[in-house]
Amino acid sequence: MDGKILYILAFILLGCSNKKEEQTTSFTKPAVEIISNTTNSIAGEAITLVFKTEANVNTIKLYIKNAFGSTFLSPTISENENIVFQIPKNYTRIAGPCRWKLLLEGHNIQEGKFDVATNAPKATYIESYFGPRSVTAGYNDYSMLTIAPTDAFDNPLDDGTKITVKYQFQENIDETEIETESFFAFYNVRSTLKSGRILVTAECNGTTSKELATIVYPDNATDFTISGTSAHNYADGNQIITFTSDIIKDKYGNIVTNGTLVTFVIKTDKDAYLYTIGTTINGIAEAKTLHPDEAANWEIQAFVTGAAESNTTNFTFNAAIKDYPVHFSKGNRNLDIGPFESFMKQLIPDGLLTQLDIYDANGTYIDTKKTTSKNGVCTIFLGEHFLEDGDYILKLTAAGITKEFRKNIHGDTVK
Amino acid sequence: MKKKTNTLLILALIVGLAFHGSAIFFTLESTYDALIHLFFADHYASSWFDPWEYRWYTGFTVQSYPPLVHQLIGILSYIGGLKFGMYTVALIAIVLFITGAYRYTLLMTGSRRIAGYGAVMAVFSSTFVETLHIFGQLPSVSALSILLHAMTEIYLWIKTGKTRYFITSATMLAVTVTSHHVTPLFGMVFFIAPLMGMAVMDAAREKVASYKALTFKVFWGTTLQHFWRIAKFGGTAIFLLVFCIFPYWYNSKRNPITQVAIPHGSRDNFLEITSSGLVFFLIPWGVFLFILPYFFYRYFSKRYVFFGLSFTLLTILGTGGTTPIPRLMLGEMAFNILTLDRFTLWATIMALPIFAEFAYRMVEGDLKTLIQEKFGGVYHRVLGGLIAGGMLFMVLFTMTLGYFRPSQPAKIKMLPIVNFLGADSHDSWRYLPLGFGDQMAWLSAQSGAMTVDGNYHSARRLPELTTRAIERIENSKFRGVEGIGSLQQFLTVPEKYNLKYIFSNDKFYDPILYYCGWQRLQQLENGIMVWEKLNVAPIPQIMPKQDVPTIMKIMWGVIPLTTVLIAIFVNIQMIWVRLLKSRKTPVHSFMKLELPYNKFPSKLLTFSHWWALVVLICIGYGMYIFYVKNVAQLSPNNVVESYYDALDFKEFSTAHSYLDPEDNIDIAQYMLEVSVTDGILSSYAKLDSLGIEIYDETENSAKAKVATRWITPLENVFNNDYHELVKRKNKWYIKSKKVDNDIPPDQLFTANGTTYYNHGRRKITTQETYHEDVLKQPVLEILSAKLVKYKGQYSVIGELQNVDNTPADVVIKATLYNDDDKELANYNAKHQIKHKLMPKETTTFKINFEGIAWSSTKDTLPPTFDPDQFTPVSFEERPTKFNLQSAGNTANTDLYKHVALQNLKYTDQGFEGVLFNSGVQEVTIPQLIISYYDENSELLWVDHKFITEGVRIQRKQFFNYKPLALDSLEIISSSLENCFVNGLPNKAIADKIFPDRKLIHGKQQTQPFKGKGYDYLKFEINSYIGNPK
Repeated sequence: MDGKILYILAFILLGCSNKKEEQTTSFTKPAVEIISNTTNSIAGEAITLVFKTEANVNTIKLYIKNAFGSTFLSPTISENENIVFQIPKNYTRIAGPCRWKLLLEGHNIQEGKFDVATNAPKATYIESYFGPRSVTAGYNDYSMLTIAPTDAFDNPLDDGTKITVKYQFQENIDETEIETESFFAFYNVRSTLKSGRILVTAECNGTTSKELATIVYPDNATDFTISGTSAHNYADGNQIITFTSDIIKDKYGNIVTNGTLVTFVIKTDKDAYLYTIGTTINGIAEAKTLHPDEAANWEIQAFVTGAAESNTTNFTFNAAIKDYPVHFSKGNRNLDIGPFESFMKQLIPDGLLTQLDIYDANGTYIDTKKTTSKNGVCTIFLGEHFLEDGDYILKLTAAGITKEFRKNIHGDTVK
Repeated sequence: MKKKTNTLLILALIVGLAFHGSAIFFTLESTYDALIHLFFADHYASSWFDPWEYRWYTGFTVQSYPPLVHQLIGILSYIGGLKFGMYTVALIAIVLFITGAYRYTLLMTGSRRIAGYGAVMAVFSSTFVETLHIFGQLPSVSALSILLHAMTEIYLWIKTGKTRYFITSATMLAVTVTSHHVTPLFGMVFFIAPLMGMAVMDAAREKVASYKALTFKVFWGTTLQHFWRIAKFGGTAIFLLVFCIFPYWYNSKRNPITQVAIPHGSRDNFLEITSSGLVFFLIPWGVFLFILPYFFYRYFSKRYVFFGLSFTLLTILGTGGTTPIPRLMLGEMAFNILTLDRFTLWATIMALPIFAEFAYRMVEGDLKTLIQEKFGGVYHRVLGGLIAGGMLFMVLFTMTLGYFRPSQPAKIKMLPIVNFLGADSHDSWRYLPLGFGDQMAWLSAQSGAMTVDGNYHSARRLPELTTRAIERIENSKFRGVEGIGSLQQFLTVPEKYNLKYIFSNDKFYDPILYYCGWQRLQQLENGIMVWEKLNVAPIPQIMPKQDVPTIMKIMWGVIPLTTVLIAIFVNIQMIWVRLLKSRKTPVHSFMKLELPYNKFPSKLLTFSHWWALVVLICIGYGMYIFYVKNVAQLSPNNVVESYYDALDFKEFSTAHSYLDPEDNIDIAQYMLEVSVTDGILSSYAKLDSLGIEIYDETENSAKAKVATRWITPLENVFNNDYHELVKRKNKWYIKSKKVDNDIPPDQLFTANGTTYYNHGRRKITTQETYHEDVLKQPVLEILSAKLVKYKGQYSVIGELQNVDNTPADVVIKATLYNDDDKELANYNAKHQIKHKLMPKETTTFKINFEGIAWSSTKDTLPPTFDPDQFTPVSFEERPTKFNLQSAGNTANTDLYKHVALQNLKYTDQGFEGVLFNSGVQEVTIPQLIISYYDENSELLWVDHKFITEGVRIQRKQFFNYKPLALDSLEIISSSLENCFVNGLPNKAIADKIFPDRKLIHGKQQTQPFKGKGYDYLKFEINSYIGNPK
């Protein structure tokens, strides 16, 4: 089976090779003379190649190849034994060498080349890029402006073409001249010490590029100071304390970007680390948090993490509630706690948390009940479904003041 | 005898078309399947011969479903659009079904009168109503209808052996095959086999004087005589089944269905899951249930005995998981793949002729006489009225089921979504609809954009989907933890699927989208929220495609419609003859077999009465159980259950009615209190299970411990609640709980902040975005990164900072390697990171390596699912190194940072803390990210906790967090060497942007706490805002 296939293949191959040999033997080169020989041209100009030959005009073809690609051309006009080839626009507009070959029945009978030069005088276009779009103030950073000037047909202009770069920052407009190399030119616009916006543009042969910009952002923040303010300094668990920074700046005196995150870390006298967060507007960060509900001493320090920190400021909260009464009723099942009186003997605003931890007579923990004050008082009812009659230890905590009671709970109140 | 047009048939056709034909316009689009067929039809309308469909499941082949119905809709869509095509095909199916039922009844009974009854019964059969108007199974209905038509021809071929009948039956069978593959496959067994038996039986009957004389010997002899006809037809049928949809079989061989079994209601135990029992048993059977004894009596008469066997088999198989028999008969494999409701469908269709016969005898036959004799004329009329009324009730009930208990979300206007996908190259990425129901298919049909989801799960190819027993990702919440887990894989690593846009029609999914790093883009005018993910590359121009040989494409494109054309051509003459009665046709032999119907067996009537009583008692008992379980205040258990149900369905006034009236909380106050509580449980959770433990129960009081398990989009929440219950006037009530009285200090206050806006494209152009409109990627710096092993699981943890001056959206991907630099796994940070960072903000992060769930261990699929939906990658080798790729993109939303940690103390129950919201947005779900450090302030571990209640503006929220024990933690590698930011090495960035970083700041912001294996910890807060203002 395999043998059969091999035989068939061999025959096919033989058939192919025979035909080729026949072709080569029968060809004789006709005489060809070039009449109009263009060797140099400018992009966009029409190019015509004219040949004189006695060969069969109908089978003659011109093969051309340049940066655009390659193609076969048929003669456009043929008169007085002259054959004329019109080079298509796509080929005459591309700068660079263009090679041609005259072919007759697949045989090369003559070849040559012409050069197309960039058409700088007609018009110049500028393609420009500028990036990154933002830099940091200081000495390190820069954005690069890259310019590729081209002629009307998108051919890059010759190396050494002069380009004027202009850049503006605040009142200053600077100008510098650079030259293209390998068809493009670049210029590094260095960052400034002040934050702001740098605008750049480039000009070449009287054509200007579009406006491009980079934003100079401030550098990292430097140390700053903070302060805390509140309506009063009593620990009522209701008022809001505000921490404010001064204007945070970088080392060049620029105000840090809006939105820079500042963490205000609060260390309490019980060694708890609390925090609140502010973001800057015009360099000032403001953060808020709630007053504690028991006397406390807070140490506050703010950070722009990794970059800057503030002074440490202290805030002392005095106890708003010195003491509160507790009244037991209904067989000690009902606890009326309060009224809670604040620093001016006023009733404390609603929402003070009161926690009752219940232990049995042996001190074994049973449960916790939490409630919040309303109109200055809290009520906790221990239903008989909840606690059977008996002796209990009740620990009551509110506003940082803990009271302990040992009570006998009895009586059925729900019928 | 002059043939008259059968008035009952005409009546049935007119009523059927008027009734079903007008109803489909209100039902079909909200059925389960119709829109899927529409999507397939759209495929054929746009590319008839190419079977590859890119729009679903990252590509699948439509050769996985027989094409006829889809192609018909596709062709008709050129006349009046896809929906026109669908309705036209549905109308044709209705006509075919009614006429099919007529011909089938005629064949079975030999009486044109009864056949007319059959046609009328077909119109009002609840099984047909359900299949068409609730399930929308167009191909199945069409195939079945044509099969019914074919039966007469098959019978005549076996009986007479005339080639004409062979050709007609074969052409009809071919049409059946190309419209639905399962129908002819099982139809051969359940319909055609008994039909052949009956044909042979009739032939045998003609040889002897009476059925009594028809012995097995005679039957066997006749069978042998007809053997070649049977064999010829059987062979042809098998050939047609294989040949007509050969590409389908070829594809099944090449792409075997790897999908794990997806639970289907028809496999449930109908007694346990009563909703499945209703839909898959009670509705299709309807009033037939009462007449079952008659069916069996008739079908086990000698002529029909083969049908009797088949009918019994179908009835049993249709009971699903109620009895173990179907599972034993089909085998575990087939039981889990097939949907068993089709057996009930076939059983009820098979019963139609007998039911028609019953109706005939009841209305004008011997049964009427018998009942009138036995019980009197009034009773007969009442009984008839009850049966007719029952039928009518079942039809109306079935028809309106979708109205009262919608199985689909409300109809969504697709145009805004289609426009969105078409604009601004949004279709260069994949999208994912969430909460669309089966309407997702309609969206897909209208847009050329691609989705990772799809609605034909047999064609899935992604292992992420085939290994999960979920129908669609789109409705993953209904598959609980497993569904959410599958969804999370797509949300966490969307770049793997080029998934950039999500259309959310269900706010349930919003929190998980946020915490996986997605952001809201805009709300479309139809109310659909569009979410997007940054840093996802568009779909490549060249996509993988599984090609098939050209011959398959041609077969698939040409054969189905050709079968229809041939069938019409061959049968047209017959239809012509039948309709116009232009030529006298010989009366078929089966017409002679009409029974006289002169003596209805009295015993059967009595038995039927007893049977009906039993059925009634069963239904009554079911209703009683339903009542006892659902009367809210009958027992402590009921009141708690009802209260939680009411809360789950947000029926707050109902919930309020269960509160102790003596607590004097009026409804307005209660609604107010409920409306101000926000958070994951009240807004984004689905109650999954409720464990009620009643204790200390007395005559009039009790206490209840309620253990709830909530499915939330983020994770499962287990909650224990304690209630006191009281009984007043024989009704149980729940004692109301105290509310937080906290009031904020300021009525009106101001807040300033920086907000951001990104223009996107400043120039309106269809070209690629201009260079100068592309924002610079914000620069991040990775401050620390470690590969750790904790509790047998590998994680990459670390800390990073946005060191740029613009807010950043952070995507971070870790890849693990072994000592030989072989890649072992990669994954993205899911929700243990703050995805949006303000300038200079830091976040800790943790990346867990999640494998494609159960892909390797299919056989050990867990019966109940792991609460954290997490399948760790199984590593063959030990990872020793890692690579971190992070990318920043300018963020301009979700930058709310105003939640403060206001109080913190350590107690026996863990850390008790207070969050305080100092800003102007209500935080719906706060998340704590807790990081652990050693004595040198080196990061050890990152943990997180979602707080179940929200933090309202200027208010507090308490939380409790139990710190972990980290003594078993092992640090495998700690290095910043292979860390990259926006493709650049991290070190270069650190040197340039933060050359003199103050490293002490880390330590100054952490809480000293001596725990097991660590010395410091830090709480970070990430806030999800449900309704940004």
